[in-house]
Amino acid sequence: MFKKVLIANRGEIAVRIIRACRDLGISTVAVYSDADRRSLHVALADEACHIGGSAPGESYLNKEKIIDAAKKSGAEAIHPGFGFLSENESFADMCEKSGIVFIGPSPEAIRLMGDKITARKIAHDVKVPLVPGSDGAVSDVEASVIADEIGYPVMIKASAGGGGKGMRLVRNKDDFESSLRMARSEARSAFGDDSVFVERFIERPRHIEIQVIADSEGNTLYLFERECSIQRRHQKVIEEAPSPAISSRTRKKMGEVAVRIAKAVKYKGAGTIEFIMDQRQNFYFLEMNTRVQVEHPVTEMITGFDIVKWMIRIASGEKLPFKQKNIVMKGHALECRVYAENPETNFLPSPGVIEYLRTPSGPGIRNDSSIYNGCEITPYYDPMLSKLIVWADTREAAIRKMESALREYIVLGVKTNIGFLIRVMNNDEFRKGKIDTGFIERHPELLKPPVLQIEPALIAAALSMSSSGSAGQPAQKPSSNWKLFGRRSGVSRSPLA
Amino acid sequence: MTYTFKIRDQIYKITLEKEDGQLQAEIEGTSIMVDFEKIEDDLYSVLIDGRSISIGVFRKGKKVQVFIEGELYELEAVSEREQRKTSHVVSGIQEIKSPMPSRVVKILKGEGDEVGPDEGLIVVEAMKMESELKSPIAGKVKNLMVKEGDAVESGAVLLVVSSE
Repeated sequence: MFKKVLIANRGEIAVRIIRACRDLGISTVAVYSDADRRSLHVALADEACHIGGSAPGESYLNKEKIIDAAKKSGAEAIHPGFGFLSENESFADMCEKSGIVFIGPSPEAIRLMGDKITARKIAHDVKVPLVPGSDGAVSDVEASVIADEIGYPVMIKASAGGGGKGMRLVRNKDDFESSLRMARSEARSAFGDDSVFVERFIERPRHIEIQVIADSEGNTLYLFERECSIQRRHQKVIEEAPSPAISSRTRKKMGEVAVRIAKAVKYKGAGTIEFIMDQRQNFYFLEMNTRVQVEHPVTEMITGFDIVKWMIRIASGEKLPFKQKNIVMKGHALECRVYAENPETNFLPSPGVIEYLRTPSGPGIRNDSSIYNGCEITPYYDPMLSKLIVWADTREAAIRKMESALREYIVLGVKTNIGFLIRVMNNDEFRKGKIDTGFIERHPELLKPPVLQIEPALIAAALSMSSSGSAGQPAQKPSSNWKLFGRRSGVSRSPLA
Repeated sequence: MTYTFKIRDQIYKITLEKEDGQLQAEIEGTSIMVDFEKIEDDLYSVLIDGRSISIGVFRKGKKVQVFIEGELYELEAVSEREQRKTSHVVSGIQEIKSPMPSRVVKILKGEGDEVGPDEGLIVVEAMKMESELKSPIAGKVKNLMVKEGDAVESGAVLLVVSSE
């Protein structure tokens, strides 16, 4: 096993990886940008190394600086997390050439799956169904012709894309030109490559993905599916496992197909094969993410399998000691991504300082986060505040638990989507599992609170204006929660004997 | 003590009074019995008619943020004079402001260009996401304050559309 691992990421996932390393007895090195000196991952790691300016290009995407940091600190391996350099073939290659283990698949597997057109070819070769569309990147004129051929609605996607960037749904021919322009421009600024392809848009599609894990000997297992159909701006907001929509037969079929794709590129480590599924459980290959997913915890909750730890163990040369038949799932898990964003303004990010924070807890509740009282949500990075994950025996119980956990959350300082998430949990269609990727678009009423709690809001605001502390006798306020705790539990600080 | 707040462009008055050790809140003619405890600097436990609510409150000058059951309310304490000011009619001149710190990616309409309602004016990028800002009214672009590539602060006026 490694003695020291560098985490080339920030935020919640960096914290998650640091904790996995701790569990395995591995010492950790954090890297950070100017904006992140006060971030939790820096505080939690054993060592930390400043790698540059706040813009990702100057720090978390700066391959040379990160490799240098690994060399200087003596880290034997780098975990890239997700986003940033996690699916960057040349970074994985540079690690290899510097004698540092890249915790993930081979540069070759990243390359093959990173280009969506090549990925489609590979999937096609191993007889995985594909959505009809253009055979590769297209010019503006070709794109328009193909769109006419396959019929509207069509989807424009960036060839080098991911995470919904450079992606546009076009419902009719009139909008095609402007959507194409936006998709190309977004693709250019996000990936430095504006090539796009066009494919048929499936009505009411569900997003189902299969988690796979493989060791270096090619033992490849699937850890069942996650359903991520609740999306805004083509980015996932709520994920769950298992999917309420698929039969055990479809589950097995999808799992086996996913394993076939992974094996075709000699995949190693944790990866995810994404499918789009229609209402009759026909599924089509979308893409493979050659990294750990944001939503990996829901799979961990139903299988008891620690994905991040196994990524590290596999990278260090360990073999998977399980067979497919040993992997069983139990209960139901849900994840809500809590974002600093405003659902009422089409989910526009809301950066700022977290002025107050209270997070939910209790049995079956997991909050993967890196925020704390007083921390700043900068405009430089993704505005995700935390991932709230719950587990319960059934889907119904998991939804109830999630709703109650969300109600425990309090965040001041930035706008969040918590109220929106609560309303989704209470939505009848969601509760029945009748969901698809158009769910949010179809339910604009969920974006606004139906009843404003004006009275309590006014009372609380008025109380904050009046300086008095409490309604009853103005009790002496303990100056800190530690003192309060001490007073309650009857302990006091005394000099050591 | 009476306070006046603006929430979502609506003005509300609230009077807090203590009677026999009990706090009474009067909002728009309705009287409510309130029991509250300040748990932490930014957290109140409030009982209204026996209903228990945990409320997060953060005040900065005249602005108060209140968090109740997943929802953030932004209130502003207003004086009598400001109340009168807010009632003026919206003119046919609209300032298009940057909703957050961002970068100007593309300018779709230049000075003097005609625009229809809901027509795209400018594309800005923040937090890896592009947003197209649209014209709320039909009119002409009167002033264009930025150029492509500019970094702009939250609330910065990017361009002005006039219906005249």
